[in-house]
Amino acid sequence: MGNILTFDHIDAGYGRVQILHDLSFSVEEGEVFGVIGPNGCGKTTMFNALIGLIVPNHGTITFNGHNITKMKPDARCHLGIGRTYQVPRPFEGMSVYENVLVAAVHGANHNEKTGRQVALDALKLTELYDKREIRAGELTLLDRKRLEIARALGTEPKLLLLDEVAAGLTEAEVQDVIKMVKNLKAAGYSIIWIEHVIQTMVEATDHLMCMSEGHELLIGEPRPVMDSKEVEEVYLGVEEEDEEDE
Amino acid sequence: MENNGIALRKPVKILDGIPMLIICIVICIALYILGITKTFSNNTMRYLLKIFLYITMGEMWNLMSGFTGMTSLGQQVFVGIAGYSVAVFTSTFKMSMWLGLLVGAVIGVVFALLLSLILFRMRGMYFAVATWLIAEAVRLWFNSWRFVKQGAGMTIATSQIPKVRELYIYALTLCIIALVVVYILLRTKTGLGLTAMRDDADASSSVGVNIFKSKLLCYLICSLFIALAGGMFALQKGSVLPSSSFSIDWTVAMVFIVIIGGVGTMAGPILGGIVYVILSEFLAHFPGWSNIILGAIAILVIIFLPDGIIGTLQKKLNFEIFSQKRLSEPKKVKGLKEKANMA
Ligand SMILES: Nc1ncnc2c1ncn2[C@@H]1O[C@H](COP(=O)(O)OP(=O)(O)OP(=O)(O)O)[C@@H](O)[C@H]1O
Ligand SMILES: [Mg+2]
Repeated sequence: MGNILTFDHIDAGYGRVQILHDLSFSVEEGEVFGVIGPNGCGKTTMFNALIGLIVPNHGTITFNGHNITKMKPDARCHLGIGRTYQVPRPFEGMSVYENVLVAAVHGANHNEKTGRQVALDALKLTELYDKREIRAGELTLLDRKRLEIARALGTEPKLLLLDEVAAGLTEAEVQDVIKMVKNLKAAGYSIIWIEHVIQTMVEATDHLMCMSEGHELLIGEPRPVMDSKEVEEVYLGVEEEDEEDE
Repeated sequence: MENNGIALRKPVKILDGIPMLIICIVICIALYILGITKTFSNNTMRYLLKIFLYITMGEMWNLMSGFTGMTSLGQQVFVGIAGYSVAVFTSTFKMSMWLGLLVGAVIGVVFALLLSLILFRMRGMYFAVATWLIAEAVRLWFNSWRFVKQGAGMTIATSQIPKVRELYIYALTLCIIALVVVYILLRTKTGLGLTAMRDDADASSSVGVNIFKSKLLCYLICSLFIALAGGMFALQKGSVLPSSSFSIDWTVAMVFIVIIGGVGTMAGPILGGIVYVILSEFLAHFPGWSNIILGAIAILVIIFLPDGIIGTLQKKLNFEIFSQKRLSEPKKVKGLKEKANMA
């Protein structure tokens, strides 16, 4: 199968602060592509560049044959990119159901009648169905994370971007997330999954990228990447720095 | 425990549907009849028509700032343009005030379209300051423009000024149309996106909401209705002046109305408009103090009732008026089910 996404020598950042340095990688259609890297190395920033919240200063992003480097976020969403936010950003004044309905109606071009079913399906899948009439602002953190996934699914994406959806969950809940990701993959979604929980990355990804200082350090099969010297050094380096700080 | 607490929360009561529609229609018809039959005194109608026009403006400013996050401090520019248009058409060209009002509205919308090219590149503070600077520039320009008699201002041809009763009917009609437009807009697909934008613009764009289109639509609708309301204010006053027609006081009033009532609610500006007119009539007895007192009230409301009066009541008492809320189960089906359960 071909590549659904290609980052080609991307430089990007916020204002004058450059975070991504010459970042290149490709994601195959139908795979789960894992991303790891120390805190602050630019993983979330990569998602921001990918969905269009920031525009790269250099390089090209190709999605499904389209050059999307300079496209607006809503146009990219229509092409089939759906993301979750690491720090959940629900539409707080709207109900859980309405949050997902917006995604189905605007992201997937449904009308409100057909969008309703899409939204309800996404809510069932993420176990939010019983809470659908609650104001999103009243949800607990775990449910907010679920809502992020439901909303991304509501846009009926081809490529799903998961940003630390398993962080802070219990062992059992992490297993649920892994199961969900595997189901989504089986249903035909391509997925990029950022996560610090090592176990999820080894169990559920097809390829794994380790980032360091805004650049791809190593890309390959998950196990060898995890066990490699470079990756160990990056993480060790960070830990040593942390210890010095303390 | 926490989850149970949420699950047990009563669903929001929505005051909408047929009963609400009937109440609104009855109120509107009553207002028309009381005006046409001269049951209201001229003085009462003068108060009421001001309330209608301020509600229109507040509702529109709310649409822009409350929903799309474009906090404009320059909407007075449309008040001024339409006022001057009415003055020029009636006094200089000796034509009908309707033509003046129409042309004023068209110029307002075209001007808004041009401004959007510059303004929509900005956000937040920059947008607010830019709109204000543009309004000031236009005011200065009118101040030195011979054709509109510079700083001396213009009077509207007396033959063209409608009677209080007529103006009352026009203002009431404009207000009703404005409310219906906002009500319907919020129920369309665009309106669903606007509500999402109100809560988080970036997140809404990443689920496919077209921010630019939504902003433009709201800005144009807002400018159109503020121009029409401004033209009617000029007719009520009988004259226009650069310093008062383009005064930032207009926008200050709109902001006050929206803050008092509640940002991002449809009912808020209705209450806000009523409160504002009553307060400012009362404060007219204390010249010089009125703006300070209005400002102090607004600050107190922001601190103690950040959702405004209507917004706070809705949250506390768990209800929503004119709610654009989408329910996951269509209402009728729910009603039938309940009946089936009871049987
Ligand atoms: N909106 C912003 N404006 C300016 N700088 C930012 C912004 N968001 C993030 N940064 C900076 O960019 C760098 C990369 O942040 P990013 O969130 O991409 O890291 P990350 O790899 O996702 O880290 P984590 O694992 O902690 O989520 C950090 O130094 C951060 O301080
Ligand atoms: Mg991150």
